[in-house]
Amino acid sequence: MTWIEFPFAAYGSMVLWLAGSVAGIVSVRNRSFELPAKFFLWAGTMVMTVFLLLFWIEIERPPLRTLGETRLWYATLIPLVGFLVEYRWKVKWLVYYCVALASLFLFINLLSPDVYDKALMPALQSVWFIPHVVVYLVGYVLLAASSAAAAHVLWQARGGKLYPEGSRISHILALLGFVFLTFGLVFGALWAKEAWGHYWTWDPKETWALIAWLVYLGYLHANALQVKTSTLQWYLVLGFLVLLLSWFGVNYLPSAEQSVHSYQT
Amino acid sequence: MVRIQYATGMQRQGFVWGVFLSLLLCVLGFTIEFVSGGRGVILPSWPGNLYLLMLMLSVIIPTALLFRTNRFVQWLGGIPLGLCLIVALAVLSMFGGVLPQEQGAVAGWMERLGFNRMFSSWPFSLVMLAFLGNIGLSLVWKCVPFRFGNLQFILFHAGFWISMACGLLGSADLQRVIIPLYEGRFSSHGYLSSSKEMVEMPFRIYLEDFIMEEYPPQLALYDPETMQLELDETNTVHQVAEGLEMSWPEGVRLKVLHYLPYAMMRPSGEPVAADRKAGVPYVFVEGEVAGRGFSSWLSTGSPYEDPLFAGLGEKLLVLVPGTAKKYSSRVVIEEAGGNGVRETVVDVNAPVSVGGWKIYQMGYDENAGRWSKQSLLEGVRDPWLPIVYAGFFMMLGGNFLFFWNGMKKTKVL
Repeated sequence: MTWIEFPFAAYGSMVLWLAGSVAGIVSVRNRSFELPAKFFLWAGTMVMTVFLLLFWIEIERPPLRTLGETRLWYATLIPLVGFLVEYRWKVKWLVYYCVALASLFLFINLLSPDVYDKALMPALQSVWFIPHVVVYLVGYVLLAASSAAAAHVLWQARGGKLYPEGSRISHILALLGFVFLTFGLVFGALWAKEAWGHYWTWDPKETWALIAWLVYLGYLHANALQVKTSTLQWYLVLGFLVLLLSWFGVNYLPSAEQSVHSYQT
Repeated sequence: MVRIQYATGMQRQGFVWGVFLSLLLCVLGFTIEFVSGGRGVILPSWPGNLYLLMLMLSVIIPTALLFRTNRFVQWLGGIPLGLCLIVALAVLSMFGGVLPQEQGAVAGWMERLGFNRMFSSWPFSLVMLAFLGNIGLSLVWKCVPFRFGNLQFILFHAGFWISMACGLLGSADLQRVIIPLYEGRFSSHGYLSSSKEMVEMPFRIYLEDFIMEEYPPQLALYDPETMQLELDETNTVHQVAEGLEMSWPEGVRLKVLHYLPYAMMRPSGEPVAADRKAGVPYVFVEGEVAGRGFSSWLSTGSPYEDPLFAGLGEKLLVLVPGTAKKYSSRVVIEEAGGNGVRETVVDVNAPVSVGGWKIYQMGYDENAGRWSKQSLLEGVRDPWLPIVYAGFFMMLGGNFLFFWNGMKKTKVL
């Protein structure tokens, strides 16, 4: 499986997720749609999982080098967060946000097709490569889900009533996401020392990773101060924008030319 | 209820003063930058940076212990101020993350205010100093008296404090030296990355061999007008192999019939396999362009041999050398004073340690590619590294406990 087959997998997943979401909404009135909804949502995620695995085998290196490749992981992992939240807290709505976000990132890949290239530059050939990138991606996925949960809380609260279960979920996801961001940041520093001679060089990608980390550090401290719940939810929604900048927006900034974190073909 | 309102009122006041102090530090910092001509903070090297660290500790620890109940000191070590300083650091970092951090890359007035080297600027340093003070005070309060329940807080915050304070202060002692080596020669000197000044190293290195492996070459169409290489229809970087078929939208189709990874051209016009040192990649392709057949030998060329390409209408079919897969230097390192001789390989992602220095494979003569007789190594000496790493590992420990406690508290696990 390569980028040539990717549109089939992406559209396949998106259609299945859409079918699952429609069935899920209908199931609110008619419970007999619950099982088909679950089936379609899981099937869409399985399509992406299988594609990712076959792509990994085909490309003969971890598909974690380019932004397009990381978006594949993102689209595969974020629905899993929705399923886990549903399993643990019996909350069904998050998974719809998750598949919508996954579809958005698959769509970006469809609009800007990646170059299929097996080459992996020497700097990336390290035992740190997979842990550093995967830990970061899991962190990004959790924080994106947290922002989605926060947006849902704000949407529901527009009549003035706050949804406590939702804000609890957005908080737990943000907390978990921050833990993964911290691991990713420190793993990155340890790897940078081995690869580039110093653990921190204020490379634009490093700087933005630190900014994203500071933003969520700020959230945790604001939460400890028991700042108003609605303010915290807004904070989490806007925090996602910083995360997106840190993930791929940084490549479009004036500072990007200096970055050693540029692995696009 | 009354207590909560009181606490919230205090908190609001704390925030207001926190925002005020953060802004004040930024304004003060930018003013110093402007007045001093944008030179930034120059940290003292050893032992001055150690004295500075001790000074920080000797202010923070007694203040925290002696004025624990003082409302002002409580505010100084409290979360509202901490939160304001976090936001200030994030905002200043955003400037540093958006604007190129090099000389001459931003407008003159911005350069004068230090926007092009934000992370050594006065505003950033003052806010960071205040943040370290804020964390330091709260750390002392959590450490004295020690309770096991505070371990996560202590590990995370102390880890951050140590890695930040020692990383920033220790940067004054960090030495990064580029060491150019030539095959068959010893070298005992390098050039400081910061000033390009030549320095004598406490060891000498003999380059036995520079070794480089490349990925297989790639076929591409070259447009001399735009000077761009065009990948094939599938947007794939194909590594050359016998039997590979490719096509381009311009009506070019081809098949690779022969691939010789290392070969030399004979006078007869037929390449023949050669050893790795002397040979270059050759491929024989057959195909058609706009319905007309063609066949040709192509080669990547080398510093000693012109490349072979085929003209297909207004474009050229070229064989592009493969990108670097792995490169390393086989060296002999002799420590000064006859402290030891060892033969080793310096590889990317696998530095070697010698006499307090770490030696990294940095680069090579890119024009010569795998024929490079030169290897660029980098020597790095960072005496503060062990303490910074101790901070990192404390943070990782605290982070793990944060995860574990958080999951228990929120009943996830």
